[in-house]
Amino acid sequence: MIALLWINLDYAASVVLFCIGLYCVVTKNNLIKKFIGLNIMETAVFAFIVALGVVEGGDAPIMGADANAPFTNPIPQALILTGIVVAVSTTALALSLIIRIYQHCGTIEADELREME
Amino acid sequence: MKRALTVALLVVVAIPLLYAVAQLPQHGSPMTPPYTHISPRYLEKGPEEAGAENIVTDVILNYRGFDTNGEVTVIFTSLAAVCAVLLGSRKGDERPAGEPSSSAVPVSDVVSFVVRLLSPLIAIFAVYVMLFGHISPGGGFQSGAILAALVIVTTVIVGRKQAEALVPVRIRRLLQVAAPLTFFVVGVSGLFLFGDYLAYPKTEGQMWLATAWLIVIGIGIGVGGAAVLASIFWTMGDDS
Repeated sequence: MIALLWINLDYAASVVLFCIGLYCVVTKNNLIKKFIGLNIMETAVFAFIVALGVVEGGDAPIMGADANAPFTNPIPQALILTGIVVAVSTTALALSLIIRIYQHCGTIEADELREME
Repeated sequence: MKRALTVALLVVVAIPLLYAVAQLPQHGSPMTPPYTHISPRYLEKGPEEAGAENIVTDVILNYRGFDTNGEVTVIFTSLAAVCAVLLGSRKGDERPAGEPSSSAVPVSDVVSFVVRLLSPLIAIFAVYVMLFGHISPGGGFQSGAILAALVIVTTVIVGRKQAEALVPVRIRRLLQVAAPLTFFVVGVSGLFLFGDYLAYPKTEGQMWLATAWLIVIGIGIGVGGAAVLASIFWTMGDDS
């Protein structure tokens, strides 16, 4: 399995990145740090899907006069472009909610918030 | 105990994922499933069929235009949601005293000078990325991000009042909906000219119109996206 993972090192790297993000979400107490963890997990998924479209020695999928095959797969790139936009939107909304929590409770530490209930 | 549980969770998540990843076809081989179905056709026919040499632009704005149309609505909705959350009730703030205000730390002269030096170049780059998204890497979303970064860094340097004065509120409202609006206009033009919402011209002679529409949507997304991102930044910094 290690040998197989070595061949697919790019995919394995995104799994590791995903786990780092999960670690942040689970262990960090600060809401913003938790959310950064979530963003790292998103990035891991994006990196994984873009890596799926890579072709050995492939050019960017732009057809010009001097373009020559093979080209990388344009579909994962297009999908991830959309995904990034959604990620930005959710990040903005989550941060504004965190700002609101801070205005109301004066803290964004998860355990202090739990005590307040 | 808690630490052990965390490690256990990470291992439980990582092992199946790594196992699955190890079974995938070799990285970079042209025989992977995502490469063997529809991509060859897009790569082969894209420029003649969809109007742009950049296949990624073809896919997001033409082949999957509906998807991107929903997408720009999503970023506009996120701006609306941010405004609803933050601008709702101003009273009842119980913030701790002694919070540093934004003017507490003056911006360093070096940073200020470099930003002033670079901002025209950043602006030109953003416009280039916006207008040439159909023949070179780039497009609406990317240039929107660059423009928004320029606006945000300018806000940090010259202060919010001056930066906001560049874009009056009435124009800003229009710019914020620019992306969904251009999509709607192009979509309805397609409806009237070719019989379907977001239908693009298909025949050889009308390819220039498809390219023109791609550029128009690119400009719309770029300007609209930048306006949305900058507005989100300004809304969040409202009380500092």
